Amino acid sequence: MTLRPEAGMTAPADPPTPARDHRGSPLPTRAMIATRFMELRRRRGLMITLILVTIGIPTVFLGARLLLHALAPKTYGPAGGYDIYTGLSAGILYTFGFIVAATLGCTAGSVDLTEGMFRHLVVTGRSRIAIYLARIPAGLAIIVPLVAIGFGIVCAVCVYAAPTTLNLNGLHVPAGLSRAQLETWAGDHAEDVLCHLPSENVPVNLPCGPGTTGPGTVIGKNPPANLPTPSPRQLRTAAVRVADQNWTFYQRQFRYPSNTLMIKTGLWLELETTVGFLVGLGVASLLGQRTVAVVGMIVLEVIITPIVLRVRIPHLENLQRSVLGVATAHLEPGELPLAFGGGGRDFRLTESTTTAVCVILAWAIGWTIIGAWRMSTRDA
Amino acid sequence: MTATVAVGEGSEWAVETRGLTKRFGSNVAVSGVDLRIPRGCAFGYLGPNGAGKTTLIRVLLGLTQADAGSMWLLGQPVPQHRDLALARVGAIVDEPRFHAHLTGRQNLQVLAAAREPAARGRIEAALERVGILHRADDRVSKYSMGMRQRLGVAACLIGDPQLLILDEPMNGLDPAGMHEMRDMIRALVGEGRTVVLSSHLLDEVERTCDAVAIVDRGNVIRQGPISELLAGAAVTLQVDCSEPRRAGALLAETNLPVTVAIEENGLAVTLAGGEPRDVIAEIARILISGNISVWRLQLVQTSLESWFLQITSRLGED
Repeated sequence: MTLRPEAGMTAPADPPTPARDHRGSPLPTRAMIATRFMELRRRRGLMITLILVTIGIPTVFLGARLLLHALAPKTYGPAGGYDIYTGLSAGILYTFGFIVAATLGCTAGSVDLTEGMFRHLVVTGRSRIAIYLARIPAGLAIIVPLVAIGFGIVCAVCVYAAPTTLNLNGLHVPAGLSRAQLETWAGDHAEDVLCHLPSENVPVNLPCGPGTTGPGTVIGKNPPANLPTPSPRQLRTAAVRVADQNWTFYQRQFRYPSNTLMIKTGLWLELETTVGFLVGLGVASLLGQRTVAVVGMIVLEVIITPIVLRVRIPHLENLQRSVLGVATAHLEPGELPLAFGGGGRDFRLTESTTTAVCVILAWAIGWTIIGAWRMSTRDA
Repeated sequence: MTATVAVGEGSEWAVETRGLTKRFGSNVAVSGVDLRIPRGCAFGYLGPNGAGKTTLIRVLLGLTQADAGSMWLLGQPVPQHRDLALARVGAIVDEPRFHAHLTGRQNLQVLAAAREPAARGRIEAALERVGILHRADDRVSKYSMGMRQRLGVAACLIGDPQLLILDEPMNGLDPAGMHEMRDMIRALVGEGRTVVLSSHLLDEVERTCDAVAIVDRGNVIRQGPISELLAGAAVTLQVDCSEPRRAGALLAETNLPVTVAIEENGLAVTLAGGEPRDVIAEIARILISGNISVWRLQLVQTSLESWFLQITSRLGED
């Protein structure tokens, strides 16, 4: 039986269809990005977690140090400084920044499916790839500024609350001295210099006080037997020699990070964050759910990467180099220490910068393609 | 440069499928369906649970891919011109679910952003039309099932659709809500839109729709205007008489195309194929000539529900 339109059922003239609204285009519109941003931003629990981790942890840590230093400056050192900076940026922000970025990516990649909105969006006729790609700028618009704010707080405190002197093996030395100024200062503080700074072939019999190497300790390697007690002039000469020997070490010490280092570190952290978000987005889109994807990303960052970074596995080194954390560690600014398995100068697995860049691009682009493909082909 | 294109210009069908097939492994959910839904009507798509109703809708909307066959929405071939076709289609598939942490209005904003820019301007009117404007700024997590159904319809309306496909839109609605939904569907049809209603609430479909298709085990087994379909269905003649058993025996001895069921106060005589007046007259004549007192002859029109049960295979299984 064939149904025919009945008299009186005739539809009116069709309204014009907006043929140029680029509905089939794979590129998302600004409105799609804006509403996706709104959808993510209004997830209260997720946003609180993101803010707590990226901004809250550094703020609480540095705030406590500022407070303690203000209350008891002799007991508690300054809140900022170079060491604090490297520890926070290469440690907390690096590791947790990746994890929260991946969590946000996993959320953005899965909630449309799990909350039943994906089919509503598909029914609009909008390209599925555009629906997927809209999540990228929306998510990055959330996580990149948060990491920037957290990192900015770290930089500000570490610069403005930096110690006034450098700490060289427990010896507080004025910063910014020239070689001659350092030697003059060393001559003026001969006993402190000789008791704290390492030296080569500067045999001086000097009784160091408590807290250093102890009274009557002989400074220098292989001192001659029955070394006489030095005169003040001899002490000064020896201290100048020791200062000269430590000049290179002194040059590498900073009260606070340089602008260049802060810029490099900031870019490196944002790179890590961006890649973490993209990978999380792709993995969650592939799996269609958030929990397993988040757990997988945490395992990758906290367990697999530190192991792969430190252990050389024969015949599998190229596989190790393909791990994201190894590649991003390679791009870590050289002044930062190894932290949380996230990177540092002393990682054992070596690779070229080109390889590291290729690996990072492969992860970011590869997972984006996989996620977009899955969202384009899956049943809605 | 801007241009406009009339959707499905020249096509008399809102939905047309030819040999549409969808399989899930060895299970054929939609089997070679040929379906034609005229424009500007309310069309019921009926079938028992698991008959393939929702699967067909999902295939039509591009939510899942067909394994074989071809289809057109508003005259546009799908999936080739899916974006053009769906530009004027609104649909609810399964139960309407939304982002629970967003308000109803915000959910519609998300969906409007995926449509043309003008869609955002239709949000207020859509919310008002479905009667949830006063709750538009509440989170969807606080909505009842019925309110989510209404929000689902509002989500359809923001696209100013020429074709609405509603999958079980009456679910969760109270009687007043069902009445409002029915009125709204009729109003939408009155505006020249086509509404495809998938439901198992046959009474509602009969009241709302102009035409139906019956689907069972993935096949469309009947389709057409309800009045035409029921005209060809069996009707029941209720006979109140004395001596029902003897009356039944008298009718059974004849060659009349009837099926007789004996009841306490008479007979229920099923007449195959519509309302044959001659057969009714013959029944009366046989009973009276057999000295049986006939007190009442009443023709009971077949409802869509009873007709549906007659023709779907599930009845036979039961």
